[in-house]
Amino acid sequence: MTAIGQVEQTGFDFAELVRTHQSMVFSLIYHFLHDRETADEIAQDVFLALHRNLASIESAGHAVFWLRRVAVQRAIDETRRRRRRPVVALDAIREPAARDRGAADPLLAEVLRRLIATLPEAPRSVMILRYQEDLDPSEIARLLEIPVGTVKSHLQRSLALLREKLERRGIGEI
Amino acid sequence: MDLEQELYQALTRKDPPPGFADRVAAREHNRHGGLPTRWLAFAASVVLLMGAGAAWRQHQGEVAKDQVMTAMKITAVKLNRIQTHVREIRQ
Amino acid sequence: MKKLALLLAAAGLLAAQQFKLNLDHLATKASNAVDLSLAGPTLRLAARFLDTSDPDEAKVKKLLNGLEGIYIRHFTFKRDGEWTQSDAEGVRVQLKAPEWSRVVGYKSTEEGENADIYIRTQNDKISGVAILYTGAREFTVVNISGAIDLDSLADLSGHLGLPKLEQLPGKPIRKLD
Repeated sequence: MTAIGQVEQTGFDFAELVRTHQSMVFSLIYHFLHDRETADEIAQDVFLALHRNLASIESAGHAVFWLRRVAVQRAIDETRRRRRRPVVALDAIREPAARDRGAADPLLAEVLRRLIATLPEAPRSVMILRYQEDLDPSEIARLLEIPVGTVKSHLQRSLALLREKLERRGIGEI
Repeated sequence: MDLEQELYQALTRKDPPPGFADRVAAREHNRHGGLPTRWLAFAASVVLLMGAGAAWRQHQGEVAKDQVMTAMKITAVKLNRIQTHVREIRQ
Repeated sequence: MKKLALLLAAAGLLAAQQFKLNLDHLATKASNAVDLSLAGPTLRLAARFLDTSDPDEAKVKKLLNGLEGIYIRHFTFKRDGEWTQSDAEGVRVQLKAPEWSRVVGYKSTEEGENADIYIRTQNDKISGVAILYTGAREFTVVNISGAIDLDSLADLSGHLGLPKLEQLPGKPIRKLD
């Protein structure tokens, strides 16, 4: 039973939580907004909010779940404040040269990051949680409080859209 | 090319600009007017024990605020769930 | 005497805005229970302590303006089947009063969820919002009375930090189904 007003003592070292999870939080917001400076500011806000709510954190796993959720929420808030989607100038990006199979292509990576940042908020959140955090659909559904079916639909449609956009620009064969 | 593999690569976690932890610590420190949090909690309990009317009102205010925030969080979660479901059905 | 009569009338009105709920038996079975009855004076006191430089608290402070009460009964359970339809009916029957109207709701058999939002109107003005949400392991009643700004309430959705979690996420699985 939980009583309102009781402050629970936690064994969490806040500074350690910041050190451990700063990349995760920053990256979630950066990949959402594609804006390094704003992502830095908002990531700080997320950790300050964590500090205020530290008494309600039950475990290390709970802290991760909480941080992911709030980071995505704050990124969505920022998007709505800006009320814009980044414009992707793909014709300014030259086609990648032939390369070894399996090697990371930094140009393609940047194109993909920009394309992700142009998706609507919900599929954008889903794609980032899937491919940055490697969460499965049921975990994403629980985090975002949306049905699992919706998560899978967002994934399938977003992948199809990305393939189509890349193929139209002749970037790689997918 | 394996698109999913490329996405994993593209969305690899990145480090924030250097000094991130220090910036968070500085903001948290400034938010409390320069006092460490544990000293604030201690100071609050001492004032409460002294039983001054203003201190009791302060405590009541903080409790009321916590209760309201809890109420709003529960409401917000439920509204979000309903809105999401309704949006899904409409699609 | 007149002042006393007015106060009694106001108290009666406020009482009428609260639901008469018989849910204490759920509290004994719940793994987590929240019971909040926050009337006008408490809300006004809380508003003075909300920090407008904090985006979440500023949103809540704006919403509190004009509210007369917030009443929450929220239960989560470790097992299915701890609440019954008669518990939900006990709430719904009070929302059948003419001043209440159901504005939106859904039922998901797959997820074992049922949720409804009701609006209370008086003199063509909104004077209350109620939410009844039931899940396989959850029973929640929210009753907010007063002059509610529905836009601010909708804007609140999904924007505050999480409430206390009842379950932890499982281990991630790499592959999609």
